[in-house]
Amino acid sequence: MPPDQARKAHTLVDSTSPNLLEKTFDYDLPPKIRFDGPLVEYIDGQRVEFDPNSVKTRDIFITDTTFRDGQQARPPYTIEQMVHIYDLLGQLSGPNGVVRQTEFFLYTKNDRETLDRCRALGHKYPECTGWIRAVKGDFRLVKEAGLKETGMLTSCSDYHIFNKQKFKSRKECMDSYCEVVAAAFEAGIRPRCHLEDATRADWDGFVLPFVDRLMRMSEQVPEERSVKIRICDTMGFGLHYPGVELPRSVPKIIYKLNRECGVPSQRLEWHGHNDFHRVLANGATAWLYGCDSLNGTLFGFGERTGNPPLEGAIIEYISLKHDLCGIRTEVITELADYMRSLDFPIAINYPFVGKQFNTTSAGIHAGGLRQDERIYNIFNTAKLLNRPPRVSLTDKTGSDGVVLWVNEFFGLKGRDRINKIKCHKLARWVMDQYEVHHRITAISDQEMEAQVRELMPEYWEKYKGAQT
Amino acid sequence: MASVLDRVIQVTARVLRLDPAEIKPEHSFTADLGAESVQSIELVAMFEEEFGIEMDEDAALSVQSVGTAAEFIEGVCKQQGVAV
Repeated sequence: MPPDQARKAHTLVDSTSPNLLEKTFDYDLPPKIRFDGPLVEYIDGQRVEFDPNSVKTRDIFITDTTFRDGQQARPPYTIEQMVHIYDLLGQLSGPNGVVRQTEFFLYTKNDRETLDRCRALGHKYPECTGWIRAVKGDFRLVKEAGLKETGMLTSCSDYHIFNKQKFKSRKECMDSYCEVVAAAFEAGIRPRCHLEDATRADWDGFVLPFVDRLMRMSEQVPEERSVKIRICDTMGFGLHYPGVELPRSVPKIIYKLNRECGVPSQRLEWHGHNDFHRVLANGATAWLYGCDSLNGTLFGFGERTGNPPLEGAIIEYISLKHDLCGIRTEVITELADYMRSLDFPIAINYPFVGKQFNTTSAGIHAGGLRQDERIYNIFNTAKLLNRPPRVSLTDKTGSDGVVLWVNEFFGLKGRDRINKIKCHKLARWVMDQYEVHHRITAISDQEMEAQVRELMPEYWEKYKGAQT
Repeated sequence: MASVLDRVIQVTARVLRLDPAEIKPEHSFTADLGAESVQSIELVAMFEEEFGIEMDEDAALSVQSVGTAAEFIEGVCKQQGVAV
């Protein structure tokens, strides 16, 4: 339709009560992602529709690579640390196994001991899988570890085939990969072929013929050993927008593998990198277009700019499913606290877990929070993440922020809340820090606590007296 | 005994550090007398202390001028049985 024909008049729907759009913004869940039509992509000149609501019924899931890709970007974890993280992942995952698998290196004695101790915890999920080079001899390690599945590198761009691995031709490369896949089958192990650098590869010339061959090979083995495909957006070149051409189009990549090559959705996995800030959008797009598995790492920590953040994928999952699906979201906070205790850097404004992800310092926002926390809090972060919204106190916070801080500190709700008038001395102290003493830093919780004790002794005695 | 208005003017002068003689009943606390956000709260707190009353926060903070404040406080005193 030409732009001028799309114009129409819009009439005010007057109301004296608010419409808070709670069908989407149910405060006790992350906001629901709701679709009102199909996704449309033009592929090879043909209009193709995708039903985005299929994610609500499909068994989409998350896989973890914190111990593999995540560990390629930091000093190694100790065995104890990995076992503890694995235990928390198991708790987070819930009974439906939303975090379905996690992969381990298998090369050192420590790698193998970690794997054994994680499995000894008895969690059904995440299932432990391996990660090896595409070398036939490495299947011995997988077999000895008693694993059913392993990832293996099958890099597919010419950057890797010719410039890195020095194959003389694409055929030589494909034959070599297929030999290793055949060795996996012989060893009774399910190979998960990692199509490294897929978003910079020649899809028609190499990737699709290679996957066709893998599918033919898979016909010779039982379903539980058939090849899985991990699509690796190694450099973060993937794009989620409709209308983008291959090899960068996430929708077209999934379509080609799923519908042209016939790789079932449950055997497709998206593994991305964040070099262009697109990592989670690309991963969720893969879910929408027919790939069931999204691979991520805790807090997105991985090679260079990292991978899809697993906790972000969890929130996206709930938003798409409109349900918690048994996920224990509060464990995300526990994982972040544990990672921080290991000096793992998490930016203070990092979504869902940063120290200040739901902290406001603007007085006008603090005022809104005081009236109704939904105004400036993304969802019920106290319930889902054990993180009530907070205010950071500066000269911009105003008395509303001071009151919010005090009530949160004393844990007061509803009619028990202390009003602004009773906090006037504290509000004055905060303002004087900046106006009189020319302070340029935020006021810490410890400083506020000391001032509450001194300036509001009757409330301190009432609410904290018994504890001190 | 000083009137409610006189006492309101005295408290206002003390909190905003002004000469009581310059404060008129029609003066707006914010526009004319320059009260900032925290000072508005301090004013309400000091009125409560001066008259021995408790005021509804939102109602008290919505009062704009000195004269209206005196009337408002007089009403609260009557409700709470405080002689003025």
